Amino acid sequence: MVIGILCVLAAVLYYEGILQIFVTDSHAAHHTTHAILFAVLAVASFIAANFAREKVY
Amino acid sequence: MGLLQGASELFPVSSLGHAVLVPSLLHWSFKQSDPSFVPFLVLLHLGTAGALLVLYRDEWVGLIRGFVAAAIRGQIRTDTERLSMLLLVGTIPAGILGVFLESRIKGFFANPEEAAAFLIVNGMLMLGFEVLRRRSERKSSAQGVSRAEQEGQFATAERISFRAAAIVGACQALAFLPGISRSGVTIGGGLLAGLRHEEAARFSFLLATPVILAAGLVEVPQLFANGVPVGEYVAGAVLAGLAAYASARFLLRYFRSGRLDPYGWYCVAAGLVSLGLLALNL
Repeated sequence: MVIGILCVLAAVLYYEGILQIFVTDSHAAHHTTHAILFAVLAVASFIAANFAREKVY
Repeated sequence: MGLLQGASELFPVSSLGHAVLVPSLLHWSFKQSDPSFVPFLVLLHLGTAGALLVLYRDEWVGLIRGFVAAAIRGQIRTDTERLSMLLLVGTIPAGILGVFLESRIKGFFANPEEAAAFLIVNGMLMLGFEVLRRRSERKSSAQGVSRAEQEGQFATAERISFRAAAIVGACQALAFLPGISRSGVTIGGGLLAGLRHEEAARFSFLLATPVILAAGLVEVPQLFANGVPVGEYVAGAVLAGLAAYASARFLLRYFRSGRLDPYGWYCVAAGLVSLGLLALNL
């Protein structure tokens, strides 16, 4: 869950151009590809967290 | 170019390697450094992804439903749900490596000589995968029976482990090297993970669709740049889609009993011939 929230944060920061690490063009206003990647990673993290939680039947 | 890309994208012979080599050998006028080349390649990839979506349209509907159901429930109950999660696990490493490494790797290896050399490496990989597969066939006592029975002893795509799916997915990053085939390494990885040839090809094609589609859609804005002949590019994409559809149908039928060896030998031979022609500057 924590990783998911961090990924959401990274996605927003990359999209806004605030985060500039691991990018080819460090002057670009948006890093859409990186933002999409972190958004997907966030979704995957939330799914993994849902799989890991204790199920009550 | 559309036909070439569409056919070679799914055959284990490296579309990128052919896209670098063929124009150079035939002295075609456009170059990869041309600003209109990337949008052109993007549309060709979208054509290929479209063909794969059409081919597996019913399966994708089931996979998306299964994915949503399993994600909400937090539990996998059916083979379709398991396959959808395997595809997610396989796509993530390819996405991470793609975003962070693609431009750096492609920048280093964009000349025809290196593409020809990597084509030879690709061929040797295909042959190596089959050597290892034959070894596991011997271990599973699958000698002396028909090919169909031999293949029957191996698993379907739904049965691959999550770790193997992640490794097969990560192998896709090797395809950023022009000459290394994405479908080749993923089919080979599937074989090493114990899949039947046909199932390894199916898993490879399903795994390819989101990656190719996402890579294509991200680059779509470049299509609206000034001076891009959209009509010609769309015609190329349609041809790429038709070639990809036909080659996927052919490959799925071929891999019911066929192996990777012919493609391996083709890559080795094509790489050697290309190196020779480039050295002679013909």
